[in-house]
Amino acid sequence: MHHDFYLAWRYLSHHRTRTLILVACLSLLAILPLALHCLLAEGENHMIARAQSTPLLLGTRGSALDLTLNALYFNTTNPTPITMYEAERIGQTGWADPLPIYVRFRVRGQPLVGVTLDYFDFRHLVPAQGAMLAMLGECVLGADAANHLGLKPGDSLPTTPENLFDLSGVYPLKLHVVGVLAKAHTSDDQAVFIDLQTAWVIEGLGHGHAGDKPITQVSGLAFGQADSSLASAGKLITYTEITPENMDTFHFHGDPSSYPISAVIALPRDRKSATLLKGRYVDNEASVQLIQPLETTSSLLDTIFKVGILFDGVLLLVGSATLLALGLVFALSLRLRQRELQTIFLLGCSRAKVLRLVTAEIMLIGLASAMVCLILAVPVQNYAGDFVRYFVMP
Amino acid sequence: MSIKFTDSCSFPCSSSQYMLFLVWLMLSFLPAWAGVTESHPLKVIATNYPLAYFAERIGGNRVSVTLPAPADEDPAFWKPSATAVGDMQKADLILLNGADFEKWLPQVTLSKLKLADTSAGFKTAFIRIENAITHSHGPGGLHSHEGIAFTTWLDFDQAGQQAAAVALAMSRKRPEWTSVLTDNLKPLLDDLAALDRQMKELTATKPGLPLLGSHPVYQYLARRYGLNLQSVHWEPNEMPAPEEWEGLRKILATHPAKWMIWEAQPSDAIVAKLKELGVGSLVFDPCANRPESGDFLDVMGKNLENLKDAYR
Repeated sequence: MHHDFYLAWRYLSHHRTRTLILVACLSLLAILPLALHCLLAEGENHMIARAQSTPLLLGTRGSALDLTLNALYFNTTNPTPITMYEAERIGQTGWADPLPIYVRFRVRGQPLVGVTLDYFDFRHLVPAQGAMLAMLGECVLGADAANHLGLKPGDSLPTTPENLFDLSGVYPLKLHVVGVLAKAHTSDDQAVFIDLQTAWVIEGLGHGHAGDKPITQVSGLAFGQADSSLASAGKLITYTEITPENMDTFHFHGDPSSYPISAVIALPRDRKSATLLKGRYVDNEASVQLIQPLETTSSLLDTIFKVGILFDGVLLLVGSATLLALGLVFALSLRLRQRELQTIFLLGCSRAKVLRLVTAEIMLIGLASAMVCLILAVPVQNYAGDFVRYFVMP
Repeated sequence: MSIKFTDSCSFPCSSSQYMLFLVWLMLSFLPAWAGVTESHPLKVIATNYPLAYFAERIGGNRVSVTLPAPADEDPAFWKPSATAVGDMQKADLILLNGADFEKWLPQVTLSKLKLADTSAGFKTAFIRIENAITHSHGPGGLHSHEGIAFTTWLDFDQAGQQAAAVALAMSRKRPEWTSVLTDNLKPLLDDLAALDRQMKELTATKPGLPLLGSHPVYQYLARRYGLNLQSVHWEPNEMPAPEEWEGLRKILATHPAKWMIWEAQPSDAIVAKLKELGVGSLVFDPCANRPESGDFLDVMGKNLENLKDAYR
């Protein structure tokens, strides 16, 4: 038997180009569906990881998808705000820790996200440059937001008015950039983070006073150039800046429980607490809903990743065609080798022996392809996650 | 334990010696293993001394309590710098007095999950101050007492509730300590209840006795123990202006008080001038900052003794 494999090996070595092409074809045919499935699975995992790490989400009753996209991915869809009372209510149950989040404003296209300091601990976000939020009016930038805005710690970032034609609206707030977060490969990279209280100042719920007047300054070509006559003439947009000098005058009016937030991430202490908490929000008449972002995101991804089935179908067709082509190549090569096979026969080898020789060749090619597949499968498995993180969904 | 080594080998050779060696080895490592499982001390920040005292009494050496306000500053008017905020962010638990004591709270970024408002349980009992005068003294600069009266702990029943809130907050952070914390809380509550009882007994001897307060910080004390108190805005080390003396005379015309309660010992000149008006001076230290000597109970005990002068 090993003589058959020896002769087959010698034959394949002699026609090494043809052999290499055959091995490459078979290897690619086997590894492509595997690699594609790996990448799709990693992509799905990557997208679902954020939802998976967010056990429960409380927000206004309505579309669970809008709520999830807004609170987890800072989508532009703004669900109706809820109040801080809802976060306090969750905290008072003792079953879960509430993380209120307010996503309403945008700064030069980047989402401006109002959070408490606990959010950074929860998402494992740490500053790569500068420091964490400490005082009112400060912001930290996600890694991509910092690149996009071209800002670094020490710079200023004025918020964008919601409506330029709303003369009675609140003035933009000049935010102080105190830190840039390390890259997290999530939607946090795109965001500009501020404290919830700063978000409420932007909202107009908190303000400072200089004497009897609210603190606003006039922006000329650059911040710091002020001319009250221009401001009074209504020719230039004014802005608010929180400085160490006026910080003490900043205060809020009304009950903080009534201040707006867009959602509350609830972190239950255990499974039982999660169940008890969910039980509190089963009332269909309530103005808020408690959802599991994983369920919402999974159903969305199920729809999106149906494309995977299409890929499988296409690969099956291409694979079948390639296998047929390979069969044809073998049949044609046997015809080309007719004289060679006839010589072997004349030398005294039986037809069965010839068949064994050809089978040994096919087996050796198959074995080589399997080995190439195995070698390629290791990096595909190991680096699919990084590939998706850096190139597919950066 | 000594281990006998033979001449031929430097290791215990017989099986019994080998077993003894193993036991010794395990016992040697036991403290280290115990150390691994022991949780680190709970880093607690208290915004005033009464809360720091409660935390120290309840937590014992399990907690490391810090009072961030400098010793020479009234914690009620202290404002944290960015560095102080950074230090607070590193704490495991931040004990707040509430009742508007921490006026700087809306201006800083702190972890909400680390904050414990110790007066939240009696929010509805807060005393609101209207039309307060803005004045200046000490490093805190210009300030006003408008808003909510914040010396909640001078009502010793409320102080007990705050102590219980401190214990609850600490046990939420370290559930495994709950029984120890509860055991430590009980004697503290007993001490506060004893103070409360003594205050009630003392003030019951002369109900409605007119008294003066040098500063509007005794609202809860007055309410709990039925003090007939009217306050001015005087500082112990600053001689009041003539118009303020005139104001006092007007008060005395309708409120014939014989004693003025001070936060700290007033200057001799003020004491003498008050004496001319027939008003004695006694100290009832709210003890918002760490005292130079003694602890919260010592200071409150001394306050009680001082107050006895007025009720004698």
